Amino acid sequence: MAVYKKTYRPYTGEMTASWSRLFVIPRYAFEDLHRSRFLTVFFLASFIYPLVCAIIIYVQHNVSALNLINAQGAQRLISINVTFFMTLLGWQSMMGLFMASFIGPGQISPDLSNNALSLYLSRPFSRLEYVLGKMTVLVILLSLMTWVPGLLLFGLESYLEGWSWATSHARIAAGLFFGGWVWIILLSLLALALSAWVKWKPAAGALMFGVFFVAAAFGAVINGVQRTHWGHLFNISYLVGSVWVWLFEGNNATTNGAVFFRAPQGEEIPLWCSWGGLIGLGLICSYMLARKIRGMEVVR
Amino acid sequence: MTPAPDTQSLITFNSVSRFYGEVLGVNRVSLSIPPGITSLVGPNGAGKTTLMNLMTGLIRPTQGEMSVLGVPPDHPERLCRLVGYCAQFDAFPKGLTGFQFIYSYLLLHGLGDAECRQRTLAALEKLNMTEAANRPVGAYSKGMRQRIKLAQAIAHDPQVLVLDEPLNGLDPMARAETIALFREWGAAGRHVIVSSHILHEVDRISDQVILLSHGYVVAEGQIQGVRSEVKEQPMQILVRCDKPSDLAARLFQQNHVVEAKIQGDGRNLLLRTADADAFYLLLNRVILETGLDVESVAPADDDVNSVYQYLIGYEGGSV
Repeated sequence: MAVYKKTYRPYTGEMTASWSRLFVIPRYAFEDLHRSRFLTVFFLASFIYPLVCAIIIYVQHNVSALNLINAQGAQRLISINVTFFMTLLGWQSMMGLFMASFIGPGQISPDLSNNALSLYLSRPFSRLEYVLGKMTVLVILLSLMTWVPGLLLFGLESYLEGWSWATSHARIAAGLFFGGWVWIILLSLLALALSAWVKWKPAAGALMFGVFFVAAAFGAVINGVQRTHWGHLFNISYLVGSVWVWLFEGNNATTNGAVFFRAPQGEEIPLWCSWGGLIGLGLICSYMLARKIRGMEVVR
Repeated sequence: MTPAPDTQSLITFNSVSRFYGEVLGVNRVSLSIPPGITSLVGPNGAGKTTLMNLMTGLIRPTQGEMSVLGVPPDHPERLCRLVGYCAQFDAFPKGLTGFQFIYSYLLLHGLGDAECRQRTLAALEKLNMTEAANRPVGAYSKGMRQRIKLAQAIAHDPQVLVLDEPLNGLDPMARAETIALFREWGAAGRHVIVSSHILHEVDRISDQVILLSHGYVVAEGQIQGVRSEVKEQPMQILVRCDKPSDLAARLFQQNHVVEAKIQGDGRNLLLRTADADAFYLLLNRVILETGLDVESVAPADDDVNSVYQYLIGYEGGSV
């Protein structure tokens, strides 16, 4: 047996915070996304609607601008209220669905096909941190598309209308923020779960829509055949819409949801069922991820 | 007397089993791996990669206990800092250059930006990859990919290197350079755990081997020691002398000599004996009595390849 003298010295310097290591994953992901002209254009196009909203808010509070376009009565036509902001969130969230279906499938499947998971997980980096790191890419992009412009517009309206308006409509800001996060977390988990299970990116992207629209159609069939409203449990946009209504307005709802995310009046299911449906979907996605995100793929 | 090695300098497995559902990975493995180069040898499906994945903390034992330099796998944060892993498969996140590949994984270790840059450059230089550092890994040749994988495994200066088939795809020159690196790392007191199908190279580089078959450890230790334990297979010894036929005649009178063949230029005698010690005693006697001129005496089958054939043979599939 050879006798070895230990001559090397392991690193003993300062370490970065473990939470900051999550951001190693999006570090190059954004560079990669930026290289796609289509995604860049789509991302920029997603700000058109908030820009239009900003113009509307500005014009609403600027008499001279209204006079200039000869629309003195326009103030009465468009109200800056809960419907205005919920519609904004609805539009932006639908753009977010498209964005997530473009970039989500490319998050995990390449690592799985390249056997790169063992590289991440043989570091001081857990499976949860890996998933959170991958989610960060989607969370940052979707936040920029949904609640961030929403809150900026809320701030603009508050600035022009006066801070008393902000305090009396604080629930709208909370609705934008938390409603945005409900959607982002759900979409990110779904995109990552599909990315982990479906290696062919176009198929995974198509499945994103499939989950929303096919499940909604299935729910409608159940409603039609069984003469019930419980089929809405399969309709994700319904579930999200009813949760948003509560987040924006509490128990005194005046609307029935946002564009693309409506909960038809008279067909409501209890709010806790909507929350339960969304949480259930999140848990299913988490389970799918837990099954796939492993240091090594077990081949039976 | 040699002091007993403490677990702080060993990789230990104590009756470790790992099952994938009903599929056996490794079963009741007990090992103590000291510093130096240790090779894992066995046919496909023998459990080499499972054993390596256990050492890297990628999987946990189903039963039994293990530790890497005293760190159990339920402290992954500490364990992962000790271990550098070079996977068997090409494992590259899409689109990264060689520099980004190493640098980003160093960041995951929690090192600062400047430290990561410095270590990345050092690792690239060590593996002669500096010139290709800014090219995408996807455009690398097989040999370059193998080297960049090795570079990422050593970049954080781990105490244990787990290298799954690290010589695959390397040309002879690169292979020689890589083996030299293994020796350097081993000589520095690191644990270098290598799995390889190239048995003659395993023979050259290993301080000890672990032979696996069907999830069980068949043998472990220095190869000569393992060979001497395989008593059911007669030892082959090659004697080069001036009168091999006379020697063969004397040897055939002994019960322990199974076979003797004169080979090559007529001066080589290859014999198979069930009792090597008795043969060496006899050879001394023959030399003294007959004045036999012996040029060399060497065991002919105490290499990994022979031991592998004796212990595992072809039943386990191809190596």
